[in-house]
Amino acid sequence: MLQTESEFIRVLKDRLEGTLDPAELDDIISDYAEHFRIGKESGRTDEELFGSLGSPDDIAREIRAMHLVKRAESNRSCKNIFHAVVATLGLGLFNLVVVLAPFLLLILMLFVVLMVGVVFTLVGPVSLLYAILQIAGLPAHAIWLNPVAGFFIATGITTLGLLMLIGDYYLARFFYRAGIRYLKWNISVITGTEENP
Amino acid sequence: MNIQFKKGVLEICVLSVLAHKDCYGYELVAEISKRIDISEGTIYPLLHRLKDEGHVTTYLQESAGGPPRKYYRLTESGRNEEHEQKEEWMRFAASVNALLLGMNHAAD
Repeated sequence: MLQTESEFIRVLKDRLEGTLDPAELDDIISDYAEHFRIGKESGRTDEELFGSLGSPDDIAREIRAMHLVKRAESNRSCKNIFHAVVATLGLGLFNLVVVLAPFLLLILMLFVVLMVGVVFTLVGPVSLLYAILQIAGLPAHAIWLNPVAGFFIATGITTLGLLMLIGDYYLARFFYRAGIRYLKWNISVITGTEENP
Repeated sequence: MNIQFKKGVLEICVLSVLAHKDCYGYELVAEISKRIDISEGTIYPLLHRLKDEGHVTTYLQESAGGPPRKYYRLTESGRNEEHEQKEEWMRFAASVNALLLGMNHAAD
């Protein structure tokens, strides 16, 4: 790769176009253009400046991750947090351990609670209805050995299911916010500046 | 020095330099890389983040015989941030130093 100013700017543009809006991209490009301009005025060459700036690929990856995390913060959605996590993963192998693993674990936990909650809120009312019918002596085949106990158990299952669904919602919200804070910290402290060979 | 240490302290370095004087990007980068060996390019994303968070603002100023340069200036919240982070760092560094020196004495 040619280590020139135009190559540096081209790579940044290529990587960031489509993610950043044009005004933001221009702002970033103009900073690096100014850096090259002043650097050359003080007698440094393109190669020197390129070399000490570091890889434009790495820089673009970091800017992109920061931007996507910000977007996920101001605009909460599954899609946005997914993009933010993927972009942060791209900052270093290390993040497979400290970002991907906890992320998948959290998703799994939220999913399991959701599924159990759904099953309970479906099974609960049905078995409650059965218990009531049995107490009234209506259905042909009984599913509850003791319909009165069944009445209370079914009420408990229904309530538990509803609580799990509500709790899952709040858990998801909590982890979303905490996750954003963690990703920001991750980008600004840990990753993005792997030493260039 | 370990690259991950440096990344973590870059923010306080930038805030600290800007607390002394407003700088244009190149000047800031030169000031910091004089003392710490860093990938200079990562300072700009950091400046953008600080701007987003309201800790710095920018303005253009004419330079002698060239196009205007973009200067970065700390805001009030940036000054507070600089103050807090500096205190925090000083306490942390003092504790680590005390610990390391203590260890050396123990090894003697």
